Amino acid sequence: MRRTLYILLRNPLSVLGIVLIALVVLCALFADFIAPFPSHVGAVVDFSNFNQPPHWPNIMGTDLVGRDLFSRIVFAYRISLLLAAVVLVIAVPIGVVMGLVAGYFGGWVEYVLMRITDVFLSIPPLVLAMSIMGVLEPTLTNGMLAVTAMWWPWYTRLIYNITRAEKEEGYVLAAEIVGASKLHIIFREILPNCIPAIITKMTLDCGFVILIASSLSFLGLGVQPPTPDLGSMVAEGANYLPDSWWLSVFPGAAILLAVFGFNLLGDALRDVLGSEE
Amino acid sequence: MSIPTLDIADLRLAFRSHRGLSEVLHGISLTIETGETVALVGESGSGKSVTARLILGLLQELKNARVTGRISFNGEDLSGFSDTERRKLRGTAISMIFQDPTSALNPTYTIGTLFHEVLRRADPKIGWAAAIAEAEDALREVAIAEPGRVLNSYAFQLSGGMNQRVLIAMALANRPKLLIADEPGTALDVTVQAQTLKLMAELVEKHHTSVLFISHNLGVVREVADRVYVIYRGNIVESGPTRELFDNPQHPYTQALLAAVPRITGGGIPEIDDDPARFSAPLVAHGESA
Repeated sequence: MRRTLYILLRNPLSVLGIVLIALVVLCALFADFIAPFPSHVGAVVDFSNFNQPPHWPNIMGTDLVGRDLFSRIVFAYRISLLLAAVVLVIAVPIGVVMGLVAGYFGGWVEYVLMRITDVFLSIPPLVLAMSIMGVLEPTLTNGMLAVTAMWWPWYTRLIYNITRAEKEEGYVLAAEIVGASKLHIIFREILPNCIPAIITKMTLDCGFVILIASSLSFLGLGVQPPTPDLGSMVAEGANYLPDSWWLSVFPGAAILLAVFGFNLLGDALRDVLGSEE
Repeated sequence: MSIPTLDIADLRLAFRSHRGLSEVLHGISLTIETGETVALVGESGSGKSVTARLILGLLQELKNARVTGRISFNGEDLSGFSDTERRKLRGTAISMIFQDPTSALNPTYTIGTLFHEVLRRADPKIGWAAAIAEAEDALREVAIAEPGRVLNSYAFQLSGGMNQRVLIAMALANRPKLLIADEPGTALDVTVQAQTLKLMAELVEKHHTSVLFISHNLGVVREVADRVYVIYRGNIVESGPTRELFDNPQHPYTQALLAAVPRITGGGIPEIDDDPARFSAPLVAHGESA
């Protein structure tokens, strides 16, 4: 643990990643205090000050109905992070347990579970999420559901491969010899050896989930207005490019910042924890 | 005569394949008396390890296999045991140590935690403090001077020889009746292997543990075993007290096996012309015209 931290802090790129993530998380947590106009999150209209380029006090300009862009971006981070957290908290355990079970038991259990996984993996993720969102109403909860449905198979495959390798390790045989139950072997012997890979992938995925969720709302299938969302803000502003550039450039940069931060940290973690994939 | 710890009679194992049944063990019979160390020697693929797996009831491919014959442990026929009963037997009455000690210890737990887990097999209610106290005693028995430090370490922080001693201590912690040693310490260097095996021999002597010692290392077998079974292509071809068998091998395979042991004969090393000019000559590739 201390060794991991030490190596991370010596690598400037991972430090940058940590700083960016910290920034995003702080924005999300303390949005009420950071945003200069917290009321602009809702349906506020101020036509005396609409579609203005960056100026004081609207440091990132205002949108088409006169709301402060900076305030809305800060609050949008809260939605994005919440979505990423919920998706991973649901998708990871499902994927991991399926991977462990398929990898350990083999035979027809593996066959059934991995073929289901393959079916999900064979559909382009965005298409799958779009069709789920198309059938259901576009709300935040359904957005989470759609992204979760496309996310777990990746974990199943990752953990399945690790489990197959770990199963051959001496300590698994040793556990069998001392009469450990299958449940014990899967969750107490093999699972701890998958943790580094899971942590690494989850870090990288935080960024990707934010990106996918933004893509969905860019297409109008995500969070609905007036709730602020980075993807739909970019989409809204795209019609007014290049004259009103601030409308999509700042939300776009906000997505970039978050995804970039998680990627940097994820890459560094992969090197430190030495996980495969 | 007392009941032998392990009595295997006419054990046959055959695997089903597309070519029908192919038998890999052709009627193994083997007996281990209480407190006796019996070696099973043979080359790779002769059926040594598969026999050990059958005793433990741990053959993954058992669904495609046909096993006949009888394995009795302390006079009880193991074939009548359910999976749960067999599991109870493993780790308490029968235990095992094997080739690579470091890989046999889960890298995510400290030795102390692993020890606690092993002791809980025999006594599910044993607490952490009691387990650690018992583990410290067990580690002292295998000549580990600082058991406290070792119990707080992970396997990858210890040397191979240290891990091997930890494994021996763990394997004997629940006072098993039978210890199966499958080529123990082959992954270690020779001196360390010799030391740990000597330790193991002393301990099983002290606790009257019966040992099935599986090896292809005849030098080691000669040191530790009371009796030897020679296995070749799934058949026991010869058996007998260690000394007799080594001094007067009857079966041609045993003779060949013994003859294959490298010896220091005292005839000196063959002379090599070590003129550097000769060694810098161009590489000769056979079967190719230049």
